[in-house]
Amino acid sequence: MSTAENSTPTPAAPAATVRPLAKKRARPSEQAFKWLVVILTGITLAMLAWLITSVVLKGAGSLSWDFLTGKPSANPAKAGFNSALRGSIVLMIITIAVAWPIGVAAALYLEKFATQSAALAERRLATKLEATTGGAMRAWLHTRLWWLRVRPKVVHLVDVNISNLAAVPSIIYGLLGLAIFVGIMGIQKSLLAGGLTLAVLILPIIIIASREALRAVPVSIEQGAMALGATRWQAVRRQVFPAALPGILTGTILAVSRAIGETAPLIVVGGIVFGTAVPSLNPLDAGNEALFAMPLQIYFWTDQPQASFQAIAAAGIIVLLATLLVMNLVAIILRNRYSKRW
Amino acid sequence: MTPARDPRGRKRTRGSLGERAVLLALAAAAIISILITVGIVVVLVSEGATFFTDVPIGEFFTGTEWFPVEGKYGVLPLLNASIVIALIAALVAVPLGLGSAIYLSEYAPERLRRVVKPVLEVLAGMPTIVLGFFALDAVTPALQKIIPGLGLYNALAAGIVVGLLITPLISSLSEDSMRAVPNAMREGAFGLGATRRVVSLRVVVPAALSGIVASIVLAISRAIGETMAVTLAAGTVPNLSWNPLEGMQTITAYIVQVSKGEATRGSLQYESIFAVGLLLFVVTLAINIVAVRIVRRYRTVYQ
Repeated sequence: MSTAENSTPTPAAPAATVRPLAKKRARPSEQAFKWLVVILTGITLAMLAWLITSVVLKGAGSLSWDFLTGKPSANPAKAGFNSALRGSIVLMIITIAVAWPIGVAAALYLEKFATQSAALAERRLATKLEATTGGAMRAWLHTRLWWLRVRPKVVHLVDVNISNLAAVPSIIYGLLGLAIFVGIMGIQKSLLAGGLTLAVLILPIIIIASREALRAVPVSIEQGAMALGATRWQAVRRQVFPAALPGILTGTILAVSRAIGETAPLIVVGGIVFGTAVPSLNPLDAGNEALFAMPLQIYFWTDQPQASFQAIAAAGIIVLLATLLVMNLVAIILRNRYSKRW
Repeated sequence: MTPARDPRGRKRTRGSLGERAVLLALAAAAIISILITVGIVVVLVSEGATFFTDVPIGEFFTGTEWFPVEGKYGVLPLLNASIVIALIAALVAVPLGLGSAIYLSEYAPERLRRVVKPVLEVLAGMPTIVLGFFALDAVTPALQKIIPGLGLYNALAAGIVVGLLITPLISSLSEDSMRAVPNAMREGAFGLGATRRVVSLRVVVPAALSGIVASIVLAISRAIGETMAVTLAAGTVPNLSWNPLEGMQTITAYIVQVSKGEATRGSLQYESIFAVGLLLFVVTLAINIVAVRIVRRYRTVYQ
């Protein structure tokens, strides 16, 4: 049992009675506990190993060049993964094109502008308000003053909101996409609708990652630029942003790799396509292309009762996992190679 | 534009008009994230409201049969299935996650830790469709050898793979909060003669408890929102049962099932996925708020 609890502090013993330290006994409970945690960790790792080997053993035989370039087919021996691959590439392009600029802009604002003290600007506006008489001008100045006052509250709201959004189940984003992009905006159930939905899904992740990257750049860089006469925007654009870019890109790649593996929101937005079409790689055509994606194709095959479909589903999973692995490696290399320690 | 004077009387350089436009655009981007939340709430509530004009709310929450073809919309079987599977997942993930966290934080040599932690996190990044395939293709057949007569679709296999998915969530977050416990506390306990097991269980775990509990709560919320693994492994037959050996349909699996077919916009089935989606959103949001509360209320800050 715990020696810490049982021992009472003994008064300083005379030097002569100090006993030599007894050799530590190997306690069975100690050993048992250590083995327990080692085994629990081992089980988790073993399950991961089991998952990967079972997928690879099942799918490796079906993996071939024909599989990667072939069209979808009702015959499992001839069915290919090409449409799914192309669909995922187009989805990735749309997702990045929509989510990246918005996410980075939001992060820049929240991290670099929204938290600046408004005291100075507020005083300046107040003096200006006294000097102006024109009604419209005064109203405009009042609005700006009001914004400066509510801004901290709005920023806090946005903060809380973003962290909550990151925890919303992905299938809910599918419902959002279905109602807004397909229902209200009238976009077909297509790659475009799917890409927009994924963009909304990863936007909070990109914002969070970009904010962290921006925060890692020391304020002295920005202050130095501003001391030399740059405005805050110039300082942020020319100094802070380039310094934070590797971190932002790493976060973006990780977010997109999450989007590539998402299945549920795509099913909700676009359903499951049985066609044998091969979507064009041009993202501008995405509005007319049926929604193909790697995880959707894998789901469709896994859901078939015949065993031969399970094998090609496993082959599809190998391709998907390999894609994710490459993206993560790129992200790690980017981080290790370009990240600076200040 | 004339340069304004600030109260200290110096001339200020002001941003040009273009620069202000840029700032406005940045602010607009930040506001978009709020619009997403508003969009989610409005969509779920408005579509859900039309559903509830046809199906009384009382019937929805107390009905024990979910059989849309016959117009029976009692959500209990779906909600029950989501909870059963999340509980199985927690039973799997809490020991595995906490064990790994204690091992990594208190026992593992630093070099091993640096390898094991990212490998565990691979599981968290695994697309859920892959876990669904794994459940159907490997876990269920293995379970069928142990439990004869187990059906192809069962909550147990679904719970196990979802547990696997959330294990790294628990281990990673718990380990972070365990490592945040200052070494002085460990050394103090060692100095009093405590063994490593006692230090782990009586000093580090209690000190990191808020983070550990929050990680478990967040993991359960993730398990409830999990979709593909449960759709594939637990099947698509609504079943109000606590028996993990039976197949059952979760909230998320129902949404997938309806979306797969062509439910026409405006039909009762189409609206029903928004109604159950609203329920899912509220449940996960509530759990997340609890997690944040736990961290904020019980967190101890060490210098």
